[in-house]
Amino acid sequence: MSIVRILAVARRIIQGFRRDERTLGLIFVVPLVVTALLGWVIRDQKDVTVEVVMVNSAGPPGQRIIDALTQATIGAPEGIEVISIAGSEEAARAALRDGNGDLAVVLPGALFDDVLAGRRPHVTVITPGTDPATDGAALGAFQALMATLAGQLAAATGGVAVIPIIDRETVFLSASADALDVLAPVFLAYFGYFFVFILTGISFLRERVGGTLERLLATPVSRAEIVLGYGLGFGFFATLQVIVLTLYILAKVDVPALGPLPAFTIGLAVQSSGSPILAFLLAVLLSLGAVSLGIFLSTFARTELQIMQFIPLVIVPQGLLGGIFWPVDRLPDILRAVANVLPMTYAVDGLKAVMLRGADLGDAAVRLDFVVLAGIAALFVVLAGATIKREVA
Amino acid sequence: MTGSVPAVEAVGLVKTFGSVRAVDGIDLTLGAGRIYGLLGPNGSGKTTFIRMVAGLAHPTAGTARILGTLVPDRSLLARIGYMPQVEAVYPELSVEENVAFFARLEGRRDPAAVNRVLDLTDLGDRRGTPAMHLSGGMRRRLSLACTLVHEPPVLLLDEPTVGVDPALRAQFWAHFRRLADAGTTILVASHVMDEADRCDELVFVRSGRILVRGTSAEIRTSAGTTDLESAFLHHAGLDSEGRPLTAVSS
Ligand SMILES: Nc1ncnc2c1ncn2[C@@H]1O[C@H](COP(=O)(O)OP(=O)(O)O)[C@@H](O)[C@H]1O
Ligand SMILES: [Mg+2]
Repeated sequence: MSIVRILAVARRIIQGFRRDERTLGLIFVVPLVVTALLGWVIRDQKDVTVEVVMVNSAGPPGQRIIDALTQATIGAPEGIEVISIAGSEEAARAALRDGNGDLAVVLPGALFDDVLAGRRPHVTVITPGTDPATDGAALGAFQALMATLAGQLAAATGGVAVIPIIDRETVFLSASADALDVLAPVFLAYFGYFFVFILTGISFLRERVGGTLERLLATPVSRAEIVLGYGLGFGFFATLQVIVLTLYILAKVDVPALGPLPAFTIGLAVQSSGSPILAFLLAVLLSLGAVSLGIFLSTFARTELQIMQFIPLVIVPQGLLGGIFWPVDRLPDILRAVANVLPMTYAVDGLKAVMLRGADLGDAAVRLDFVVLAGIAALFVVLAGATIKREVA
Repeated sequence: MTGSVPAVEAVGLVKTFGSVRAVDGIDLTLGAGRIYGLLGPNGSGKTTFIRMVAGLAHPTAGTARILGTLVPDRSLLARIGYMPQVEAVYPELSVEENVAFFARLEGRRDPAAVNRVLDLTDLGDRRGTPAMHLSGGMRRRLSLACTLVHEPPVLLLDEPTVGVDPALRAQFWAHFRRLADAGTTILVASHVMDEADRCDELVFVRSGRILVRGTSAEIRTSAGTTDLESAFLHHAGLDSEGRPLTAVSS
């Protein structure tokens, strides 16, 4: 052991970084920026009002409950509001499906018979089911409101508070869906994007610094041919990756106990209702954009380390703002504006629509997602092509 | 075939990098079917000149034509074979895969073309070896194989024989001669003089300018010397120890 040699090694590392201002800046700036962004997203989320659709099958007494609920929501701290009264449970489900409401409450015909007979009545609550966290929050707000109202009634009549039993139903997936069911299909896109971007960025950087790009440009190959060839080549691996992940996410294979090995299950068996083909096409379009972005940004890197430094710029914001964890429409206005230009936002929106709501190309929102993703991919193909100059000196 | 159109024609080519004048006004016309040696020390502008002629660098001033067509023109590229000074091969691809890749880009899809250049560069028994496991000299040969595979009428070779063993080097030159006899124009850049006698004509460059052009014999005669090193010094205006002849020593 020689302290001199240890210090010599340490010194050479510090000297090396001294000439790489970008890495230095990133060591200090990136954690601050990412943490600040996370804080902004979490703290400044818009408070949303839970919009309730009522369905009354309980006759005039049911109407009185609806009136009382409507009254009680005024000034209720939870931010909950009865926005409409639907003629039937079907109509209420249709309203939720179209995004008109966060929660539907069905007062059943047997409501008052149950109350008069001294049984706890049942109330059916329907949520969209595509975002368990938001659904849970909406349900909580509604339960709080019911409790308040029941307490007031009990005080007024001198009776006991009757709190109904809530039967949960969802429009999409099932009431037992958890966060994984919602996240898994979206992660498909996110992982694909991440790896394709990094791999393309590094490969193309090697072409640039290794001289093979200049060598390529001395052949009749065109810039567009190079970019599209890269897209196809990495698209091949992105495709395999998406297929493997999709199978794992959707599958459930029970492997029986074998000798000393206990029984186990392969696959997450997440709930899904849409066309895997459409989801796959969305992921492929997103990947093509990632390939072109990797080529484009490789112009601004000299080393593979510097490609890694694009992760906080490219990957992290898309993860935080793209609608994976928090709905885009709840973001603060500025961040929502940013989210609206990120490809991830459209991929996530499309994947959720397809995989969770079973939407297809008949859905205008899904069509928009496809068009925007294709547009972004095309834009970056052009930008990437523009960075491949004959003069690569 | 191309009639009287020169194979390569450079007019007033200049390339500056900041304050460095890498190529400082070169006029050069090369006729078909000959081997030209572009000779000069490191940093004299040989690589920069070749890159401009190949259309890989934009001249600061001047123009280049190949087979009568103004550079850059993508349709020309299939008719040029450019061998860069640094081996530009894919380390993770095998020898054969590298050659086949460039052959396909050049529009050659027959395996015979690949086998032919692998034999020529003596890499036939290494065809399956990843390029990253080759020695420096072998990589050089692989790079040359990739350049020759489509049999272009104009070859621009930047120091093609560095690190190649003498026996194989002799084979290369024999092959270059056969190609030239068949009408191929070959420009070979080199910073060493020992292969100069294999060229039909020599172009001496220094500091981005042409010092002299002619056959090896012509250049030696005009310098009044028997070896090319001294002839170079003479034409560069230097004495036998490399000092400027006009400088007044104090
Ligand atoms: N891309 C570049 N950027 C800056 N200077 C360069 C570049 N390429 C070449 N040069 C400079 O131009 C001069 C000629 O270089 P080069 O053409 O490589 O000479 P040679 O091939 O004869 O050794 C040198 O001074 C070199 O440093
Ligand atoms: Mg050179």
